[in-house]
Amino acid sequence: MRRAVLFASMVTFLLLPATALATEETTVQELVNNSVAFDGLQVSVRGELVGDYGYRNDGWMWTQLNGDSYVNAPLREEGPASGGNTGIGVRMPVELAGDLDPPGRYRSRGPVVHVVGTWKYHDVERQGESYLEVESFTVIEPGRPLEQGPNWLVIVGGVVLVGAAALAWRLQSDE
Amino acid sequence: MLIRPVSNDYRVIGFYLGRIFLVVAGASLLPLAWSAIAREWHPFGSFLLMIGLFAFLGVMGIGLDPEETKLNWSHGMVVVALTWLIVPIVGAVPLLLSGHFAYPIDALFDALSGLTTTGLSLLGDVDHLASSLNFWRHMLQFLGGQGIILAALSIFAGTGGITLYFGEARDERILPSVTSTARFIWAVSVVHLIFGVAALGIVGWLVLGFDPDRALFHGLMTFFAGFDTGGFSPQSTSVGYYHSAIFEAFTAVLMVAGAMSFGVHYALWRGRRRAVFANLETRTIMATFGFTMVLTLVGLAATGLFSSAMGLTRQGFFQVLSAHTGTGFATVSSAELAQWGGLAFGGIAIAMALGGMGSSTAGGVKSLRIGLTIKAVMNQIRQVLLPEHAVVGTAYYQTGRKHLTPNLIQSVMIISLLYVALYLLGAGVGMAYGIPLQDALFESVSASANVGLSVGVTSPSMPFLLKAVYMVQMWAGRLEFVAIFSLLGFLYASVRGK
Repeated sequence: MRRAVLFASMVTFLLLPATALATEETTVQELVNNSVAFDGLQVSVRGELVGDYGYRNDGWMWTQLNGDSYVNAPLREEGPASGGNTGIGVRMPVELAGDLDPPGRYRSRGPVVHVVGTWKYHDVERQGESYLEVESFTVIEPGRPLEQGPNWLVIVGGVVLVGAAALAWRLQSDE
Repeated sequence: MLIRPVSNDYRVIGFYLGRIFLVVAGASLLPLAWSAIAREWHPFGSFLLMIGLFAFLGVMGIGLDPEETKLNWSHGMVVVALTWLIVPIVGAVPLLLSGHFAYPIDALFDALSGLTTTGLSLLGDVDHLASSLNFWRHMLQFLGGQGIILAALSIFAGTGGITLYFGEARDERILPSVTSTARFIWAVSVVHLIFGVAALGIVGWLVLGFDPDRALFHGLMTFFAGFDTGGFSPQSTSVGYYHSAIFEAFTAVLMVAGAMSFGVHYALWRGRRRAVFANLETRTIMATFGFTMVLTLVGLAATGLFSSAMGLTRQGFFQVLSAHTGTGFATVSSAELAQWGGLAFGGIAIAMALGGMGSSTAGGVKSLRIGLTIKAVMNQIRQVLLPEHAVVGTAYYQTGRKHLTPNLIQSVMIISLLYVALYLLGAGVGMAYGIPLQDALFESVSASANVGLSVGVTSPSMPFLLKAVYMVQMWAGRLEFVAIFSLLGFLYASVRGK
């Protein structure tokens, strides 16, 4: 029985992908604050893809991965204004990127993904840039449109003020 | 005896403020149009409200109808100081209504930071900000960098225009009239805008692989913040977002152009290259840039953070250039900048404190003052070494041959000392809140010299008083003190004068 358990454990160990064993689960905040410590390590982080998808001629797609409080509580969906964003640059092969939902911007919440990749701190090949080279990713939450309708009270206030200014101008001109 | 201002003094000031507000109301039609085209109706309402406020204040100001519209020196300075206070207050309205700020003072902080071309920001979640609001933030930097008063002077000069012109921290008139000088400055800016946006847009589209409209958007925003040495960015990771040496190179050209005095621009336009290199300011800024660059690179090499000379040079060069020109763009995070201790920290901090050329969009002590101070010290040393009756030359070249007079040295020294005091003030307040000396000094210099680089001190959670101190520093640093002292003097005379 003991032999069978040992054999089964060894098989399981050998069948596990090497990447899963070396991967360090962390956060974008940690990567930003302790960049040096993660240099060259395979890490796994969660965050929202924001900004643009830059499909470059060299076969890489660049974008930004945010791992701040707005990922869990978007500002446009009643989340609190809790300071600036915390993001890192990420790149992945164009074929890996596939057909992603639009990145996070004013009108859209970008896809929230869980990425596995290598943290490159001051990469020699890219003259000192720091970024995450993505090897695989899973979409945890697809992107979705964000809506923000007009604030009619503010619009009416604006119209009233512009009207008052025009009226005052007219009266002054008449004088 | 201190003379109390009379009714006409207040009316003259109100009248000119009114004219300026109407010009700003006109300029604000641009973000309104942007929001309408982009169908961003929430910001559209805020822009309409802001325009209404500017227009109403403008018409009320003009309605004061003074008996004598001639501006004296004091009036002009008060108008400038108040313009740079009231425009950010009203300009903060769309930012505040966006919901991206935790506290109302944060929106005012950002508007003032934009207008003074500082670039420090308390805005939350910039990555999801409406494009029209981003345009407004960057346009504030353009207006502030060029000078709001200058914008107004291009349309109306009237009597006393020269006072307003000098009040906005400009010390040279390039062409005989203020209006023609103002228009020349706008012409230079528009040419740079066309070429700058085109170059950055093409890089964004063809090299970075952005959609054409987004490439143009990034190009325009980076132009506004680069040429006007402002430092805002449409993305939270600043210029580091683009991960492109070519994009950084074009941005660097814009930053240099922004930090050059418009007198030097004029000489270049007229093909007077020798005059450019004979200019004391050009020589000084080249020397100080070289010095701070070497200091930073040696410091960075000592930290061992970079494993290649190419990486160290590219990152070090961009950060020093951004600091020296007062732009505040970064290709590394605030957290990393905070780790650049020792000589690298010294290099960046000194570069920020020194600043760009006079009569440019940059802040800081300015290279002309540094050059004149060095020249004055050298002359003193020569005087000591030479025989008693020997005459030491006092000439220097700055858009023409000029002489270093005792009065000039005195004013240069006073303004330089005031900058040092301003740097220490913010550092002292920061330290009182428990911020380490290095970080407190860095952030204080960044605010006072209108740079915008941050080691992470500036955040919505920082104490109210520190926010207020940084705002005063940005305001005083941009106007180079004189207009603010005049405003304080005017207020004092209003209360205690006879």
